[in-house]
Amino acid sequence: MSDSLLEVQELRKSYEDGHIQALAGVDLKVRAGEFVSISGASGSGKSTLLHLLGGLDLPSSGKVLFQGRALGSEVDLDEYRSQHVGFIFQAFHLLPCLRAMENVQVPWLGGGLARSERGDRAEVLLREMGLGHRLMHYPGQLSAGERQRVAIARSLANNPDVLLADEPTGNLDSVNSAKIMEILVGLRASRGMTLIVVTHEDSIAESAPRHIRMRDGRILC
Amino acid sequence: MSTTLTLANFAWKNAGRRRLRTCLTLCGIGMGIGAFVALVGFSRGFEHAWLEMYESSGTDLAVVQRTFMNTTVNQAAEGTLRSLPEVAAVSPMIINMMDVTPEVNALVYGWQADSFEFAALTLDQGRRLQDGHAEVMLGRLLAESLGKKAGDTMDIQGTTFLVAGVYHGGSALEAGAMIMPLDQLQTLASLEGKVTAFHVKLKPGDPGDLPEDRVRKAQAAIESALPGLRAVPAMERASNNQLVVLAHAAAWGTSAIALLVGMLGIANTMAMSVFERTQEIGVLRAMGWPARRVMTLILVEAAGLGLGGGLLGLLGGWVALRVLASLPKTASVVSTSLSPWTLTEALGIAVLVGLAAGVIPAWHAARLSPVEAIGHE
Repeated sequence: MSDSLLEVQELRKSYEDGHIQALAGVDLKVRAGEFVSISGASGSGKSTLLHLLGGLDLPSSGKVLFQGRALGSEVDLDEYRSQHVGFIFQAFHLLPCLRAMENVQVPWLGGGLARSERGDRAEVLLREMGLGHRLMHYPGQLSAGERQRVAIARSLANNPDVLLADEPTGNLDSVNSAKIMEILVGLRASRGMTLIVVTHEDSIAESAPRHIRMRDGRILC
Repeated sequence: MSTTLTLANFAWKNAGRRRLRTCLTLCGIGMGIGAFVALVGFSRGFEHAWLEMYESSGTDLAVVQRTFMNTTVNQAAEGTLRSLPEVAAVSPMIINMMDVTPEVNALVYGWQADSFEFAALTLDQGRRLQDGHAEVMLGRLLAESLGKKAGDTMDIQGTTFLVAGVYHGGSALEAGAMIMPLDQLQTLASLEGKVTAFHVKLKPGDPGDLPEDRVRKAQAAIESALPGLRAVPAMERASNNQLVVLAHAAAWGTSAIALLVGMLGIANTMAMSVFERTQEIGVLRAMGWPARRVMTLILVEAAGLGLGGGLLGLLGGWVALRVLASLPKTASVVSTSLSPWTLTEALGIAVLVGLAAGVIPAWHAARLSPVEAIGHE
């Protein structure tokens, strides 16, 4: 068994028959409970790396190992995403027709948590995010910061081992950005989760104990 | 405060996002199901009324031409039929659809005055008709529609007929119909020496004989005595006579076209919905939803549209039948009663049509790559 929670080996990802190379041989190990930030210019490959770490896509070559087992071959990607990973997006991606309470329950539809427990569990998660007064609000009735907190509550629904955040503060003002980062760092500490944040904001990138810079599909340091 | 989300609830909320489009889609499938309920309901009611007519008159067999399109039989065969030992009574008859007045259409039966089929009818007014006389008997429904009573006269295709009597009973078909002497109808319809069928009543069988065996034996005897003719058990004749077969075919054909249009409406709605929600589908996949669950969601939405349209169609079809039953041209052949089977079948078809319409959009949604879907603008 590897001592890393996540490990990538010689990871490559190309598009359009190899004409565009998003990742050009990346090696990386992330231990359980680690907070890692990834920064780089547009097109550096940071989001592609995050997608591959999250099992949203498969590499052109190389491997992503979770607890020593290869995603896609030894670990089913759907199962991996539903049980071990939580995603947070820049654009929040809440479902506009659902209330905050209901958005948090979406990961449990079709399994995961008994129907009778869903409402109570969603309420606990939203209260943890300081949204006890917004449970029945639709996304359109929430501020950007509140929406991102609903999205974080949703990402915690299945109690994941890893939180993957793609520019989580990209659509927020500085006050809300600080608040969201405070929540994420707090979650890592309280739940022992691994936190990987892709960002182009230096202050956030440098606040992480481990900061990875990328350029042209490669890790610089 | 807590509220629980289910897949069905989620599908319902998705359908409510584009209310106008959803309403129009429901109307589309509703029209298809409404056409099915009205037309198939009508044709089944028609078939049921035929069966009632045979049962109430005591007809065991109908003797008709073997070929489907040849609708008349030579009346000369009557003597041969009467001579068969299995046969108790023979009623040569004609059935025709006729413009009784410029506004009113009705089924017209030509019976001989001594036909055993009169036994199923009860006279409300007047008397039974007589052979060789220009007179008719009116079903109660038709008499009310025409405003006629016994003793009145009416002009049918240039001939003045006396309303000899008004009757009730028998089947729904007879209640809205007119009966005239066979010879009179033969003249009116230019069918001298011809009849539509012979209705045959059989003698009671030997003790211990099964009714089916008695009918089968009589069938064989008739068909052997009259080559070229077919003896059809009453129940089979109710389902297989030309009018019922044509009514069924027209009902199913028209309904199928209307349902196809409704299905295309749902397919279009679901395809548009999947396209508009591509990014959301990507997010669902990112949350660990397997492709089959995404597919299930889209199919539940499509089936829900089918079911909603089906319920709307049931109401529309029932209203259409009520309207048809109130129109003079169609009142005599339309029944407003719908069997539970027809209603269940209509809803089942509506859901199946919805599911079929949702298959391609669901398959497309399930095939979306999570990364590409999330990046879709």
